[in-house]
Amino acid sequence: MPITITQLDIDEVLRYMGCPPEKANGALRAQAEDCAREVLETIRPRWSCRTVDIAFEAGGVRLESGLLLPGEDLRAHLAGCGQAVLFCAALGAETDALIRRAERLDMGRALMLDCCASAAVEAVCDRIEEELQRRSPGCSFPFRYSPGYGDLPLEVQGPLLDLLDAPRRVGLCATRTHLLTPRKSVTAILGVAEGEIEEKKRSCLGCPARESCPYRKAGGHCGIS
Amino acid sequence: MGFRELLRAPGPVILDGGMGTMLQAKGLGMGEHPELAALERPDWLLEIHRAYVEAGTQVLCASTFGANREKLRRTGKTVEEVIPPSIAIAKEAAGGRALVALDLGPIGQLLEPTGTLDFETAVDIFAQQVRCAVGSGVDLVKIETMTDLQECRAALLAVKENSDLPVLVSLTYEERGRTFLGHSPACAALTLEGMGADAIGINCSLGPREMPALVEELVRWTTLPISVKPNAGLPDPGGAGYDITADQFAEAMAQLTELGVKCYGGCCGTTPEYIAKMCRALEGRTIREIPRHVPAAVCSPVQVVPIDRVRVIGERINPTGKKRMQEALRREDIDYMLDQALEQTQAGADILDVNVGLPEIDEAEMMVKVVKALQGVTDAPLQMDSTRPEVLEKALRVYCGKAIVNSVNGDRESLDAILPIVKKYGAAVLGLTLDERGIPKTALDRIDIARRILNRALNYGIRKEDVYIDCLTLTVSAEQAAAAQTLEALERVKKELGLKTVLGVSNISFGLPARPLVNQNFLTMAMTKGLDMPIMDPNRDAMMAAVRCYHLLMGIDTDAREYIAAYAGADVSSTIAAKKDAPLPAAPAGERTLGQIVAAGLKGEAGPAAQKLLETMDAMSVVDQVLIPALDRVGADLEAGRVFLPQLIQAAGAAQAAFEVIRARISAQPGGEGGSKGTIVLATVKGDIHDIGKNIVKVLLENYGYPVVDLGKDVEPAAVVAAAKKHRAPLVGLSALMTTTLGSMEETIRLLREEEVPCKVVVGGAVLTAAYAERIGADFYAKDAKESVDVAREVIG
Repeated sequence: MPITITQLDIDEVLRYMGCPPEKANGALRAQAEDCAREVLETIRPRWSCRTVDIAFEAGGVRLESGLLLPGEDLRAHLAGCGQAVLFCAALGAETDALIRRAERLDMGRALMLDCCASAAVEAVCDRIEEELQRRSPGCSFPFRYSPGYGDLPLEVQGPLLDLLDAPRRVGLCATRTHLLTPRKSVTAILGVAEGEIEEKKRSCLGCPARESCPYRKAGGHCGIS
Repeated sequence: MGFRELLRAPGPVILDGGMGTMLQAKGLGMGEHPELAALERPDWLLEIHRAYVEAGTQVLCASTFGANREKLRRTGKTVEEVIPPSIAIAKEAAGGRALVALDLGPIGQLLEPTGTLDFETAVDIFAQQVRCAVGSGVDLVKIETMTDLQECRAALLAVKENSDLPVLVSLTYEERGRTFLGHSPACAALTLEGMGADAIGINCSLGPREMPALVEELVRWTTLPISVKPNAGLPDPGGAGYDITADQFAEAMAQLTELGVKCYGGCCGTTPEYIAKMCRALEGRTIREIPRHVPAAVCSPVQVVPIDRVRVIGERINPTGKKRMQEALRREDIDYMLDQALEQTQAGADILDVNVGLPEIDEAEMMVKVVKALQGVTDAPLQMDSTRPEVLEKALRVYCGKAIVNSVNGDRESLDAILPIVKKYGAAVLGLTLDERGIPKTALDRIDIARRILNRALNYGIRKEDVYIDCLTLTVSAEQAAAAQTLEALERVKKELGLKTVLGVSNISFGLPARPLVNQNFLTMAMTKGLDMPIMDPNRDAMMAAVRCYHLLMGIDTDAREYIAAYAGADVSSTIAAKKDAPLPAAPAGERTLGQIVAAGLKGEAGPAAQKLLETMDAMSVVDQVLIPALDRVGADLEAGRVFLPQLIQAAGAAQAAFEVIRARISAQPGGEGGSKGTIVLATVKGDIHDIGKNIVKVLLENYGYPVVDLGKDVEPAAVVAAAKKHRAPLVGLSALMTTTLGSMEETIRLLREEEVPCKVVVGGAVLTAAYAERIGADFYAKDAKESVDVAREVIG
């Protein structure tokens, strides 16, 4: 299912820029809106997903493919789930290029475009999540979880991308240091539980940057997911 | 019959079908590696290959698609363990009835600039596979399912440099007719044919019904045989499998004979049944002969520039006579060159000349850096400008697309040194009509040299459309008769030899007053004689106007659209002031001070305001008494929460515009460039690719007058140490965004200390804290860009 995003949450974009939305003046907001338009024209959202059975063991969560997602945090997070949907989403290389080019012309604008792209990839993930939830009626879902959250290491990016056939289907790869390229991209794990589970809120508590995070100070979150 | 003979013989060449999906059907489990099939399931492989041969396949692909050292890393096996048995099984199945190809798929990591994989590393990864396959006796190489033209180039070079095997290169496109990275069939065709592919094509992603538009584009841009290997339709919306049957597939494939396709096969979801039915459908069909006329053109990976109208080559990236550019080269300020590039393309340049030759720098190394960086920000094709063959070769190697080489001349030595490089990398070449005896005076002698250059190029296998001739502009004040000779030579090279022409036009007016008048008129005269590519400064309004007017008056600019878009509402002065120094445009009335302009972030007004201020103040006073206090006020407002990061950056951008004007003044003064502060070295550490924060810090530091050497992202610790030593930097700034890369930050600091580099280290980035900074041995922690300026002041002053 192709995903098109036609609008971005400008307040969220402003928060990413370190500006509390209520303090933004008209000019700044107008610039953010202009950047949002440019980003929306540039992005080519692509995604892929795969549903796997999961099992819990001492070291973490074992996927049906054999891959172990290590750590305590994800295991606790997925408690009650029998399956998980793995997915990835990317805005495409053109979005990275747009930001790179803007950095040479106007760094302020580049920062705004970067924040708009972060907001856009979040919006894409929201839409994917809606779609995935629609496909499993009657189930409950803890919020989506990504490598880098809590104690889930980035090292699992490569194996997750392989399972999703991401290089071929989405054009998404990881570097040798496990960072996603193109940059405005996400991999995520969405737990699926038959019936009710305890509701968990997305929080910064598991984040190693929580002490110094400029987004938290501005009353928001980073959008890295 | 070898693959090249198959391509020349009449009738279709039948390739095989899907392998991955066949292995899954046999029972390959989720998470198992298909690359290891030859070791773990040789029986399955043999059965699949045999079924394809039975179905009519003439070229089998060995199961080596992902058998590169990067992908195999997770399996614990080596390339040498996997490739020979994979090929042996395919050969056994072929039994002499089919050829066997080494299959090269993507490495699985993206190359620069989108990813971090270096081009030469990519070449080396593929070369290892090729060497291994040559030892195993393959018949050809198939490079396929590529989404990055640069990765195709790396693979193709690896094949060419390590074997004589024929090569088929195939990319995978989305429905919009571009790869994931935005590369087009036209760009792939121009680039890959130039580099010596034997056949090119399309595979995976789409079904046969989506092929015609892509094939038609290839036909327009290549003379090579075309290969098509689509999936069994589009992915089924339900998520499992693909949406067309073997009969539908066969029918749609057979129709591609009408478009002149030579090689037929299938990709994901296709089976021996699909291939067998396709073979039957192709029987009795003749492949239509489509005449191929590929026009003269150059390209980047995303943009083809056909030389079918006047194409402007921007000349600004060249240090000759440009102090500011020389300074940028010495300081390795690549950003300055990127700014020049973007300014020129915005002004209307179609192609950018790149010359970084300066006696005291390593020209080859700088050329590679600049070409890579330029391709990260501009889609315009490049013209590599150097007198040294080794510099040209390095530039062409990393350039993705079809470039122009500037230049060769009629001297045999020049031709034999440079033309083989032009041929190897598939570039176009610019020939200057001079030789070891100098520039001939007459048009006739210049045409002779042009003919000599053409013949030599043809001997090397370079096609005529890729030879451009520059008949050379001489200064008319020194030799008045020369202009007419140049124009005559140009006209005859165009008409008699049928070659595209290039001319550097600005030289014509040297030594004369009111040079723009002479330049503009000479350009117009040259265009009417058939000049295709002026090399000029597109930032000069009069010059671009001449080009646009020419297109308008010759009916090339249909309905005057481009002319009107450029000049509607424009104010054109028709007076020529007779004074020597025209007055500078006055700052707009109503007059904000430079300080207010900076605070408001008005980039466009800052330069003129600084210019005006310099009439009454000296340069350093403007910096110390106006610019820096203005930035300080914005910085204080940021801390107080009255303004936010984007506004601070915009203020910095305006200060930068003012600073450029001041810098020009300083370097024009006797003993200029003096008084500069200590250099700051900045880097995003090894493994990290998030660099926008570091770039913001750079802008701010520069606007406080600190020279910055920016090493970029993903920087090796040793490179930081080398730069800190080389530039005697009193301060090094390191940035990291991910917790996983804090280790390389620590390692970089450790190495700086171990090598006893006398510098302070400031660190920053989202995951850092003051406590952590202290723990890894940094001298300072800066929580934001503003604080990094405070640190610089403390350390440097």
